[in-house]
Amino acid sequence: MVLHDRSSTAGALLGVVAIVFLVGQQLSVLFGLLNFMSVLVDHSGADAWVLSGNLRNVDAGNLISGRYLDRVIGLREVAWAEPILIGNGLFRTPDGSFESVRVVGMRRPRLVGGPWAFAQGNERALLDLESVAVDRLDLEKLGQPLPGTLTEIGGRRVRVAAVTDGARGFQGTLVFASLDKVKDIAGTPPGRYSAILVRFQPGADAEAALARLRAVLPECSVYSTADLSRLTRRYYFTQTGIGGSFGFSTMIGVVIGVVIISLTLYTSVLGRARDFAVMRAIGGRRWDVTVVVVSQTLIITVTGLFVGFLLLSVLLNATGRSAIPSYFPSFVPPILAIVTVAVSLSGSLIALREALRAEPAAVFH
Amino acid sequence: MARLRLENIARDFSDGRQVRRVLFPTTLELVPGQLTVLAGPSGSGKTTLLSIIGLVLRPSEGRMFLDEREVSALDDEQAASLRLQRYGFVFQQPMLIEGLTVRENVLLALGVQGQRPQREAVKKADELLTALGLAGTALVQPRMLSGGMKQRASIARALIKDPAILLCDEPTSALDAESGQVVMKILKRIAIDENRVVIVVSHDARVFPYADRLIKLENGAVVSDTTENYMAETKIKQ
Ligand SMILES: Nc1ncnc2c1ncn2[C@@H]1O[C@H](COP(=O)(O)OP(=O)(O)OP(=O)(O)O)[C@@H](O)[C@H]1O
Ligand SMILES: [Mg+2]
Repeated sequence: MVLHDRSSTAGALLGVVAIVFLVGQQLSVLFGLLNFMSVLVDHSGADAWVLSGNLRNVDAGNLISGRYLDRVIGLREVAWAEPILIGNGLFRTPDGSFESVRVVGMRRPRLVGGPWAFAQGNERALLDLESVAVDRLDLEKLGQPLPGTLTEIGGRRVRVAAVTDGARGFQGTLVFASLDKVKDIAGTPPGRYSAILVRFQPGADAEAALARLRAVLPECSVYSTADLSRLTRRYYFTQTGIGGSFGFSTMIGVVIGVVIISLTLYTSVLGRARDFAVMRAIGGRRWDVTVVVVSQTLIITVTGLFVGFLLLSVLLNATGRSAIPSYFPSFVPPILAIVTVAVSLSGSLIALREALRAEPAAVFH
Repeated sequence: MARLRLENIARDFSDGRQVRRVLFPTTLELVPGQLTVLAGPSGSGKTTLLSIIGLVLRPSEGRMFLDEREVSALDDEQAASLRLQRYGFVFQQPMLIEGLTVRENVLLALGVQGQRPQREAVKKADELLTALGLAGTALVQPRMLSGGMKQRASIARALIKDPAILLCDEPTSALDAESGQVVMKILKRIAIDENRVVIVVSHDARVFPYADRLIKLENGAVVSDTTENYMAETKIKQ
């Protein structure tokens, strides 16, 4: 038998649902953006990345010499090493206008650093020198080029041969092409690459292998994939307006959420001070009243979390395949839930302390 | 059955700057089997005295005994558990908890924590409600009841645990004359037939005919205390 007053319960519940939904949505956009930032690194399938010295982010333009490739492959710990080359170019849409794109060149036949999911076509389509893959989400922007469409990037002939699924970068439209085509488009000097992707032998000690790489490549920056992903995200987050301002607004959202939830439960508990005084007068111990308040708070919060998460999952399902950044790492829901419960419990317990401070004799007045 | 003895019980209130005595040393013995009415003008200290008797307010001076056990210096939790075991309260406002049904409100007094009520307890609550003329309201929300019905439901809440002591502060003041009579008859029956200590605070003269004992307070002091033939008041102090 847990007490509940319908209207105030409904109000508090609505508050929890709204905050869980809004903060969750904000967080999903933030994590979605973070994913965009490091999308190439995260999906590379490599264990380590070799970049030009002092580079802290894969999108910075400095190139690295192909000479290093041989040195890397020579190491016992290395299973393979593949270069990628990233350049910029103007994509000519079917109606003759131009869109700026980032072209990612992969070496055949392994195509490391290339697309990981396809909406149409497959990796084999990219084995051809002329072939490029554009992303499903960019089709409209690029004028709906049908597979097989011949067009130009940076004045070079390319054929749209496949459509990728979810290859969306923070720096704009990603187009995958062959290494030689990108060299052509970007006018890169021969034998120079943006990065070398390295895969270690199965069972190799990653730390030791990284150390070996660093030893043979003192002029280069060598990162594990996870480290580079982190560095790239941090770079964009701190150095670009969007990341920073979105992070800031998420933080404000969380603060407002904390204030609203604790205040909502605070007022809802304090609004029932008279009920608690009655309970005290007719013999309830502080503990009894606390149990009632805590269980009511938990019911409201858990129900609110449930409904909030339900709405969120509907939203995420709807936006997951759209151009809106949205991603909800699995560690977020438990944290969001624990923080919400902690915040609402503290709000109601503070109110309870205040309510219990009144003498039980107050019920006689 | 319970017996209450007050020895020189006094109470002061301070408004921050000065201390004011609102109840002067009072010695009283309260016995079961009679309806005691505590009367007096507004501000005379009736509620203060009742609160001390009910262990919701501590006296500033004096001692109180419940069946020879001193109860005037208990801590909050001890007082609460004694209230739970021995006391029933009826307030001026019914103070039913909205959101709970009438039956749940009645059962609330049994164990405030809210364990699942025993089947016998539910049965007893329903019987009490029936006896108080509230048959069929067990599952109704309190706000659907009239003022008199609410007050009777609150009497059921006070009686569910068979309290030895029933304290009522102006139980009829929020009621019309007829409902007031019904409530007073019930309280009288409880005092006499069930041999309990029943104390009713009231400044409503219509309540006096139900009293077996009438204690009058004025300015914080008992000015008359008459039993049975209270109409012919004998002043004990002036
Ligand atoms: N908590 C308190 N703090 C300060 N003064 C108080 C407090 N409670 C009661 N008093 C004062 O004590 C006096 C007696 O109050 P009490 O409530 O006992 O009177 P009463 O006889 O019940 O009056 P009424 O018929 O209006 O209910 C009043 O002057 C009141 O202002
Ligand atoms: Mg009073």
